[in-house]
Amino acid sequence: MEQPSIGAAAFVSRLLSFSRPDGGFPYYRGGSSSAEPTILAGLALFAAGIPAGRAERLLSWAGALQNADGSLGVNAGCRGQGLWLTAQAAVLFHHYGLKENLAKALDFLVGLKSVTASNNPRIKQDNTLAGWPWVPGTFGWVEPTAWALVALQLSGLGDHPRALEGRKLVLDRRIPSGGWNYGNPALDDRELLPFWDTTGLALTSLCGRADIGPLRPSIDMLEKRQGEIESLCGIAWTVIALQSYGRETAGLRIRLRDLMASSADEDLHAGNYSLGLIALSGKKVFSA
Amino acid sequence: MNRRRFLEDAAMLANAAAFSGFAQTAPSPPCPVTLLPMSGYGRDLSREMAAVMSEDGLDLRGKKVLLKPNFVEAHPERPINTHISVIAGAAHACLRLGAAEVVIGEASGHRRDPWFSVLNPSLRDILDKKVRCVDLNHGDAVALRNAGRRTGLPVFYVAAPVARADVLVSMPKMKTHHWMAVTLCLKNLFGILPGVYYGWPKNLLHFRGIDNSILDLARTVKVHYNIIDGVVGMEGDGPIMGKAKPVGALVLSRFPLAADAAAARIMGFEPHRIPYLLQAGRFLPGLKKEDVVLRGENPSRFASRFDCPEEFKGMRGGPFW
Repeated sequence: MEQPSIGAAAFVSRLLSFSRPDGGFPYYRGGSSSAEPTILAGLALFAAGIPAGRAERLLSWAGALQNADGSLGVNAGCRGQGLWLTAQAAVLFHHYGLKENLAKALDFLVGLKSVTASNNPRIKQDNTLAGWPWVPGTFGWVEPTAWALVALQLSGLGDHPRALEGRKLVLDRRIPSGGWNYGNPALDDRELLPFWDTTGLALTSLCGRADIGPLRPSIDMLEKRQGEIESLCGIAWTVIALQSYGRETAGLRIRLRDLMASSADEDLHAGNYSLGLIALSGKKVFSA
Repeated sequence: MNRRRFLEDAAMLANAAAFSGFAQTAPSPPCPVTLLPMSGYGRDLSREMAAVMSEDGLDLRGKKVLLKPNFVEAHPERPINTHISVIAGAAHACLRLGAAEVVIGEASGHRRDPWFSVLNPSLRDILDKKVRCVDLNHGDAVALRNAGRRTGLPVFYVAAPVARADVLVSMPKMKTHHWMAVTLCLKNLFGILPGVYYGWPKNLLHFRGIDNSILDLARTVKVHYNIIDGVVGMEGDGPIMGKAKPVGALVLSRFPLAADAAAARIMGFEPHRIPYLLQAGRFLPGLKKEDVVLRGENPSRFASRFDCPEEFKGMRGGPFW
């Protein structure tokens, strides 16, 4: 396994300083352990080349959070809430070779289907496509669907009918001029604004799995407008997405490094910080 | 729900019962509502806001206050969010009134990235260092038993900083809403529910009915004060696609429905014709015009006629003053 660079070692050390006595990570320093920052921290440690043994307690915490049906919720106190996180957990289980946990998580994911609806002429999208919801029994949205796609594709289920339909949903939600909004591409004839993080995640989930032509406006848009992106989360996802499509990210990576080094501790979202580490590592964590 | 989850929820509910602030009470009218003129966002109104809050009997000495503005998403040209100078003014007013702790918290409905909400440097830079900003979308929550019966949801998972606060202040933007006609103090409570539990948007609440969810939350969560940013509101296809509508006023009240009803009238709507406000009037005071005591400027100075989607034009009324 590669040794982390000196810069990365400092970032890893700062990330590890967030960990809780139970082995999990909180969203913000001092909070209680939550699934998402713990999972993303685990992926960041993997990306930084940290030996798996140092992630043992983290993995144990995440594994213990998994429910009997394979799902995984927000935290130990709310195991039935935020089940969309199961997809993120599957990515973690995949990279650390936790096959039993992974198989259960994938079973749950394949069975978790969003509600569909009839089409609405004001919203230019196909509501009949099923993807993944944030909450069981509700509509499908770009981000939970993209996370589920990442999990299925990494695990060799990229050609599963659910993945095929999920990719259709993500493609369908593209803003015609480029990018993804959290929800719909347009209302009436007015395009909605692209969100950097949603766009980066959506592009990453489609990398190598969809024709490049329809994706090019979104990739170009991220590349062209990268100077406008100011948040850690936005820059991290932009780097991850552009890297996966072979685009230049040197300037953005410098900005990301500076931002991670200068962020005040009280504002530091451990999940987003972990995404920054993943982006800086250059390692393909979300695609094969 | 399996037995384990049921027991976990029960344990959390037991904890939540300790938060006395959430017992819903029904104060009697009359309900004072103050209209504070604010022609633009450049002026610091913290002194005036503190005076009104004090006159309204809001005792903040030694209390933990959570200000809940409305940050949906950022757009360079559209006034979607509660303006940062109004938020800062309210925060500094709370410090003037002796609050022990002032926290600004929001669980933005569309944006996961907290940089687009309360962790944006533009807000942090104008705040007193004693004021903290917290991202309510990501973090701990407390299960509060749903005191309403409309959504069928047994509990609401309320962001922990809200549950820990002694005083909750709802600070919405004055806007039309393409599904609800208007979005004001009551609707603003969606933003105390973390996105990691409810998603972006909080689609579960949509599925259970937005009006039902507003009403159940209004029964469950005690709001102690309300400040509506009507300096520049949004008309037309709100809450994100509409146009700027300058009104030039802040609306302040201890009574969320009274504040909403007064704001609706300023916007040119008859509150009784807006279904969720009408329903809220069954358990909250302030819907009827005669139950509200308007203070401050003459309301006719601010009376407007907000453009709105066609289906809500029948809900308009007035002139009210």
